[in-house]
Amino acid sequence: MIITLARKSLRAHLGRSIFIGLSILAGVAFVAGSFILADSLRGTFNDLIDGLTGDTDLQVRSSLEIDALDAVRDPLPRELVDEVAAVPGVALAEGSYGRYAQMLDPDGDPVVTQGAPTLGVSWSPDSGLSGVNLKEGRAPQSVEEVAIDKATADRVGFEVGDPIDVILSDGQQRFTIVGLVGLGESDGFVGATTVVWDPVSAAALLDDDNTVDTVDMKVEPGADIEAVRAAVADVLPARTEVVTGQELGDELKDQVGEIVSIFGTGLLIFALITAFVAAFVINNVYGITISQRLRELALLRAIGASAPQVRRLVLMEALIVSVIATTLGIFGGFGVAQALIGVFNASGGGFPEAPMVFKPMTAVVSAIVGIGVTVFSVLLPAWRASRIPPVAAMRPESGFQALGKRQHLLRGAVLTVLGVGIFIFGILVRPGSGPQWGAITGVGALMTIFGVTSLSGTFARPVARAIGAPLQAVLGTAGKFARDNAGRSPRRTARTASALMIGVAMITAATVFTASLRDTFTRILEEGTAFDYIVLDDQSFQPLTPEVAARLDALPELSAVSPFRNIRAVVGDDNATFTAVDPVDFPQLANLDVTEGGFGDLEGTGGVMIFRDAAEDRSLGVGDALDVTWQNGVASSLEVVGLFDDNSLGASWFVSIETLESVSTQNPTDQFVVAKRADGVEPATAKAAMDAALTDFPQATIQTNSEFIDVQEGQINTLLTLVTALLTVAILFSFVGIAITLALSVFERTREIGLLRAIGMSRRKLRRSVRAEAVIVALFGVVVGIAVGMVFGITLSYAVPNTVIDGITFPWFNLIAVVVVAVVAAVIAALYPAFKASRMNVLEAIATE
Amino acid sequence: MSSTAPVPPPPSALVAAAGAIDARKMYGIGDAAVHALDGVTVSFEPGRFTAIMGPSGSGKSTLLHCLAGLDSLTEGAVFIGETYLAQLNDKQLTELRRKQVGFVFQAYNLIPTLTAEENITLPMMLGGEDGDRSWIDRVVETVGLKSRLKHRPSELSGGQQQRVAVARALASRPTIIFADEPTGNLDSGSGGEVLRFMRNAVDEFGQTIVMVTHDPYAAAYADRVVFLADGKIVYDMSGPTADSIIDRMKQIGH
Repeated sequence: MIITLARKSLRAHLGRSIFIGLSILAGVAFVAGSFILADSLRGTFNDLIDGLTGDTDLQVRSSLEIDALDAVRDPLPRELVDEVAAVPGVALAEGSYGRYAQMLDPDGDPVVTQGAPTLGVSWSPDSGLSGVNLKEGRAPQSVEEVAIDKATADRVGFEVGDPIDVILSDGQQRFTIVGLVGLGESDGFVGATTVVWDPVSAAALLDDDNTVDTVDMKVEPGADIEAVRAAVADVLPARTEVVTGQELGDELKDQVGEIVSIFGTGLLIFALITAFVAAFVINNVYGITISQRLRELALLRAIGASAPQVRRLVLMEALIVSVIATTLGIFGGFGVAQALIGVFNASGGGFPEAPMVFKPMTAVVSAIVGIGVTVFSVLLPAWRASRIPPVAAMRPESGFQALGKRQHLLRGAVLTVLGVGIFIFGILVRPGSGPQWGAITGVGALMTIFGVTSLSGTFARPVARAIGAPLQAVLGTAGKFARDNAGRSPRRTARTASALMIGVAMITAATVFTASLRDTFTRILEEGTAFDYIVLDDQSFQPLTPEVAARLDALPELSAVSPFRNIRAVVGDDNATFTAVDPVDFPQLANLDVTEGGFGDLEGTGGVMIFRDAAEDRSLGVGDALDVTWQNGVASSLEVVGLFDDNSLGASWFVSIETLESVSTQNPTDQFVVAKRADGVEPATAKAAMDAALTDFPQATIQTNSEFIDVQEGQINTLLTLVTALLTVAILFSFVGIAITLALSVFERTREIGLLRAIGMSRRKLRRSVRAEAVIVALFGVVVGIAVGMVFGITLSYAVPNTVIDGITFPWFNLIAVVVVAVVAAVIAALYPAFKASRMNVLEAIATE
Repeated sequence: MSSTAPVPPPPSALVAAAGAIDARKMYGIGDAAVHALDGVTVSFEPGRFTAIMGPSGSGKSTLLHCLAGLDSLTEGAVFIGETYLAQLNDKQLTELRRKQVGFVFQAYNLIPTLTAEENITLPMMLGGEDGDRSWIDRVVETVGLKSRLKHRPSELSGGQQQRVAVARALASRPTIIFADEPTGNLDSGSGGEVLRFMRNAVDEFGQTIVMVTHDPYAAAYADRVVFLADGKIVYDMSGPTADSIIDRMKQIGH
């Protein structure tokens, strides 16, 4: 019976049910979408990896001491291929390469990736060891021929038979495309542009010191892989290892899984914020509809429904809506996942047709978010509904008494004070460290939000009236009614605005933090950099060949040139990135607040300059010895030659290029190269000379110091805009709540509106008044939200070290944008309620009891 | 039959379907206290149609609400059948309302989202029972709305809605039906339909009905009229006619 009642009631209030359903649906679609996407990507990549490593039984490679995605293994001596091939049980051993090769499009511009590598690889189609599959044409056979990946070919417009220019580490060369390839079933290499040569040509083009990157092997049919592995291990030199194809695949899957998880987590956080805002909307809408349905529920009680039955009725309605919305939301999730893959592919991802993977876990999490959040939000309204006395069927006023305006002041104040206290304690005080402080901070933030929500009813009247004052001045009577109505039921105004408040608080906190980060960062960058030019690949973000630095170094127009070349190492228990620079030129290029020693002292090998905080953490001073294990396993003892105070270039550990070269045999690549103009040289002259020196390397972009800082600032601004935009989408749902509440209060004021119309208020004025009320409610949410968000944002900014944020910036532009969006959205939300109010029949409205 | 003297009747279903003993109800405290009921003792015989009349503020609605277990007394007792309501908790009261009491209100009697038929059977369904089908059919036949059973309340006239409400009250064969100004919102034609239907239910089915009204023509359908003023019973009339009621009302002093 209760189900029938619930179903009928939902159908009768279809519009409201759809609105509520939509906000649940959106939250669930994002949650399900992020899970489906992550699972699908993982599944697809795992298939790809199986195809890639399926035929490789064993692989020899340099060992790596660091578990970091950006650490590169040292190459192997080429003789090792023959030595390994001679091991009994090995059927086939093949040296392979995965090195730098940047394609140029027919216009001579670099074919860019979104940060994925630009690879040059070797491939012998007969061995089947590399997982490369021919899609079109034939395999390359000579040093003039290449195959490229079909995804890039399709994107750029290359066809078999076309010429193609490729940048290698020592300059450009022209080849002919004879084939198109893909990895396993797919057309691409997961976003990487890939140029393929036959093994002999690859060795000639990619390698100039007799090395290979890995040795891939097949064992004799029937041979025991583990036995062969042991035999191979016996002939290997130090810091070299042999792994099975299976282990290799698992390792790759773990790495891919890690990247996919980071991505999925970002999406999930956004999804959960949406769900959180939706929960407030749902709670609010149900809370208000209970008042509106007072007589109906009281009648049910009078003719024999028990209190638990009324409670069940309200819960059942919410349950039905949420089950339907969650089911649809899961389907929506497939759409979200598919759309995101489409976005990646459009930007050159080259993903294979990914079959959507739906795991039970996705359904469970979606149900918890969709159904759980809804039912939880309705618990309180349902409990209130069951307290409606039967006599309210005849005397509604006694029902409103029971629904009660309990005093929330104390509870709200206690929650707020406790919440802020816990938040600040968790983020600033933090006795000891550990992830539990993150959780405590989160709890504090949540408590603050609930507290302020609860408290806001008590100050909604004066604040709403203050916000409404200018509206009254502009709109006259219509503004006055809007202002009075918004202040008339402060608890309702506060509740209606609560969802918006939370969204705005999050935006404010995120943007205050990001903007403060940006300003500190750019200021420190301005102070810390002394170079005139920086050369980098600002399209694909691939490292540069050392040839770039070498050619710049030869220019008389430049007085100082230094590359930034990174190597990973283990210091104590921590992973660290060491940056190698030219110690002689570096002091002219950067001003990192050296407090002791100097970069010049790095000259030769064995010296290290350390960022003061990093040195203090390890109690290191000038003259002390520092033991490090480089990523390839080589151990060194370095001498601390100096300390500096500014790590804004992202580097805390500096060594000389010579030191790096003495410990690593990997092919050197530079993150970027910085240079200073010689005295008396015109900027135009220097720029022209650099352009001429780098014609072979069109991927290398020359930026001036100020251009570079602008670009860095622009990147953080993009992040700032992205965060604001994403969260704005999330808070748009709160306007659904404003629309519903307003429609209901118009309904409740039927008689009053009829009276106003009867004594001569025009329809236009009435509509304007309803719209103005929506604007006041929305602005109330925005104002309180910004205030709460600032507390969070400022606390967060103080919590990070001064070297990251040393001053607070208020992102006025973003916050004003939020206010404008809120006002526009409020006016739109009020369209329907305003229309309804203005269409009311005057006589009927007055006759309404 | 009539009970002019305040003699507490024994709560026996044979003598009284429901009643109140020295019922008092106060709103507010101190000087602001209002005695809505000031010591009312009355019983309602089974199978009879009783009207309660009185000027506005006389306490007639309060008496009805308290008799029906919708509201509680400050002092005194009310009973339905053999049960004193004060002894019941909310759960038992709910069951009593469902099984032993029928209601007809002035307005808003029907759940707007349910059809007429669903509204009639609602109390039984809330109790998880099917009800007596043949009885319900008979009630529906008597109400004369067979063709409109599948309609929503909004598709029915005011008089039809009130007849559906009376049918709902009858459907569970309650010990007593309480009607609160059931014709207050109707024109005299529709009001007559509803009152004749209630009269019929008493004569044909032996239903006990207590109705609050301020309309002497409506009260004239009853077997007995109890007059209230200032929270007290001031007169008890058997076999009323519209004229005798109007005369009595003039004496009480409107």
